[in-house]
Amino acid sequence: MTPALPEPVEGPEPEGRGIFPAELLDRCISCGFCLPACPTYALTKEEKSSPRGRIGLMRMLETGELDEDDPTLQHEASFCLGCRACEPVCPAGVQYGQLLEHWRDHQWRGVHVPPVAAALREAVEHPKLIETAGRLVPHGRTEASPVGAAEDRTERASLMLGCFERGLFPRVSRAALALRPELECPSDQGCCGALHAHNGDSATGVALAEALGERLPGTIVTTAGGCAGHLAHVLGDRVQELSVYLAAHPRDEPLGEVLVDGRRARVGLQDSCHLRNGLGVWEEPRALVAEVADYVEVPGAASCCGSAGSYSLLRPRDSRRVLAPKLDAIEALDLDLLVTVNPGCQRQLVTGLRRRRSRTRVLSLAELLVLARGGPPPRRRSWRLRRGGANDEPGELAAHLNDRPAPDDPGAAGAGPA
Amino acid sequence: MARARQLLDAVRPGGPPRGLVADLAAVVGRDHVRWTAGDVAPFGHDATPLFSGRPDVVVFPGSTAEVAEVLRIASAAGVPVVPRGAGSNLSAGTVPLRGGVVLVLTRLDRVLEVSRDELLVVAQAGATTAEVAAAAGEQGLLFAPDPGSRTVSTVGGNVATCAGGLRGLKYGVTRNYVLGLEVVLPTGEIIRTGGRLWKDVAGYDLTRLLTGSEGTLGVITEVTLALLPMPATASTGVAYFDDLATASRAVSAVLGAGVVPATLEFLDATCIAAVEDFAHLGLRTDAGALLLFGDDGEPDVVARNLARMGELCTAEGALDVTLAREVAESEALLSARRCTLPALSRVDSLLVLEDVTVPRPRLPEMVDRIADVARRHDLTVGTFGHAGDGNLHPTAVLDVHDEAAVGRTHAAFAEIFAAAIDLDGTITGEHGVGAAKLPYLRARLGDDQLALLRRIKTAFDPAGILNPGKLGS
Repeated sequence: MTPALPEPVEGPEPEGRGIFPAELLDRCISCGFCLPACPTYALTKEEKSSPRGRIGLMRMLETGELDEDDPTLQHEASFCLGCRACEPVCPAGVQYGQLLEHWRDHQWRGVHVPPVAAALREAVEHPKLIETAGRLVPHGRTEASPVGAAEDRTERASLMLGCFERGLFPRVSRAALALRPELECPSDQGCCGALHAHNGDSATGVALAEALGERLPGTIVTTAGGCAGHLAHVLGDRVQELSVYLAAHPRDEPLGEVLVDGRRARVGLQDSCHLRNGLGVWEEPRALVAEVADYVEVPGAASCCGSAGSYSLLRPRDSRRVLAPKLDAIEALDLDLLVTVNPGCQRQLVTGLRRRRSRTRVLSLAELLVLARGGPPPRRRSWRLRRGGANDEPGELAAHLNDRPAPDDPGAAGAGPA
Repeated sequence: MARARQLLDAVRPGGPPRGLVADLAAVVGRDHVRWTAGDVAPFGHDATPLFSGRPDVVVFPGSTAEVAEVLRIASAAGVPVVPRGAGSNLSAGTVPLRGGVVLVLTRLDRVLEVSRDELLVVAQAGATTAEVAAAAGEQGLLFAPDPGSRTVSTVGGNVATCAGGLRGLKYGVTRNYVLGLEVVLPTGEIIRTGGRLWKDVAGYDLTRLLTGSEGTLGVITEVTLALLPMPATASTGVAYFDDLATASRAVSAVLGAGVVPATLEFLDATCIAAVEDFAHLGLRTDAGALLLFGDDGEPDVVARNLARMGELCTAEGALDVTLAREVAESEALLSARRCTLPALSRVDSLLVLEDVTVPRPRLPEMVDRIADVARRHDLTVGTFGHAGDGNLHPTAVLDVHDEAAVGRTHAAFAEIFAAAIDLDGTITGEHGVGAAKLPYLRARLGDDQLALLRRIKTAFDPAGILNPGKLGS
């Protein structure tokens, strides 16, 4: 006996509206393996705030069962961090980051884009504007071909300047150039387009990445994991985050050591989501930290810090909720330093740890490696670096570390910089 | 605007009965009720393809008392209630086919107690299986059942479906570990069955009846589960074969030799390729089948059993046998095996998975029959499963937009179910009947037993509000 199989309750799905490529949407089988990896699901325990739930919402948007005015769709399109932590754990290989870009392209088109996202997109779209801003701060830059003649070298490489990094943390690019003087770093670079791609304008995101690819020669090295993820998606293998570039181009010189009070510093690391989840890069930066200091794995280092590109500006409260458990984990380890590989994470953690008056200070990987070589020391008295007396920019690298006491700190007088 | 929409949605024709949302909100709090189209949409389906419904309201109660009150309200209003954990069900057991209220238990997520003296754990229904196992592990204790979705699935859902997993052969399945339950009946009474006792024959064994009742008899809110001492070590090995039938004969050889391993899993070539594409473990993708065998216990016993199983596989014609060198390698192999089903989604867009189980000696025969059915219906069927339990997961992999192939898949699975019953097997070993396999239940149970099931259902749920259209309907 072979009884008839039940008919699906809602027959084959109607033709889609063409918002999402079918092959991306069809990959998900709703197994839910992504749920434990999702930071927003951890906050709410709500299906709609999980990757599986959001893909369900995307499907209903695609079929027209829900329209873009639906409040749940509007909320979830912006509540998602876009961290892509769901991708490496997805056995089906769902490209959630791509789906989210398509979703926001549609959801945030025209007047529907959040004003903050629109302003940010606008700001970085003008190379001249960024360049002018860049001239106000001393970020790293080189003339056309800094070390030797370009034609002598078979392999050229350039340093990409992240839009926000060059303004907020200009010393990161200088540190990178100090480590690798062979990198070319023209100061008139435009934006990589990651901000557009993640904020509802992926077409401009691709165009900007392609333009930057034409502007920068050879291998494109970046100290910003978020930029690396987007650029590599458009330009491919040409793009390397700094730690990958250093691993691929080793030198015959010791990396040095970072000491605190005469002992090796205890240093943790916060992954960059798109670097780890998008490009699979997480071992390389850890290996470098472990060479110059005592590496301590922070529990949850792989999960998003809540910076998430423009997220900390678009949804500041949710951003802090995501950050809070991470700060707890970092404080519990009593680290000397915490290394970041993306300027957004650096800003988020500097702000968060400073607010908590933590003694752990935040710096980029490039800066840590310069410190290890005996570069400029941070300004606190307790810092006794083995080598590091002779530098031409005393205290410079530490200027943006979170070693300044919070303004409202009653004990500030005693704890301030030496 | 959004607010006005929500209010409109609340009173829209075909939406939740007027007053229901307000009544439920009064019980669980406004923050824990959802009724707008977008908010309820994700609860219209679970992990079963081709089945979906549309709940009218979704509630997230925060206590057993709230669950009871929700059920009383639904009973009075005559509204269907579908209990739901993490929604990882594979038989459409949590799909709200007739709308109504989806009652989500994920807020009841605490592990309440782990007792070393009594070798048991007490947890609320919404804690995940992995969380319960981790809490037990911290005390050096093992919660043996380990279904593939353990990191996602709730322990209450595992009990409600009597979930199986990778350790069934040596350790049994969920039902072997359920000591006691706290259950809310559809009529609103809260009962506690069993308890912290290994021996207790006072009354019918309602604990067993409710275990695997798929949310049709009552809503499980708390579980008391038996634990075991954590084995000193665990290890696995991998053997490759030309085809699944040869691997099946190796399974018979292992069991025939008196070895009862903790794990005995197999995958065919389609599944090996999909898993390797995801996990990058260096699996041999040129082999026709892979047998994953593992054991746990004292190190010398584990080493001896693994070596013996390796020898038996070689004697049965294994192409290659390797033993894991370290625990992490074993863990990676087992994790990869758990991901087989979703990994198959890399092959094509629709996966239709079944769960037939046959007596172990009939395994090679069943494997051959599945291959034959797949060939005749021109389908790609990847087969994996718990070989040691005779539990197979033949999975048709096809294009969701190819209606002809979907039709052939339905016909093929009807034949596969019939073949399983013909070999003294069953239509589902561990995924449950749900809505997906209800039409085949008669073939397995017969009219008299089916009628008894309905009478039991009526005794628990006279108004028929709990998970209608599933078991007992």
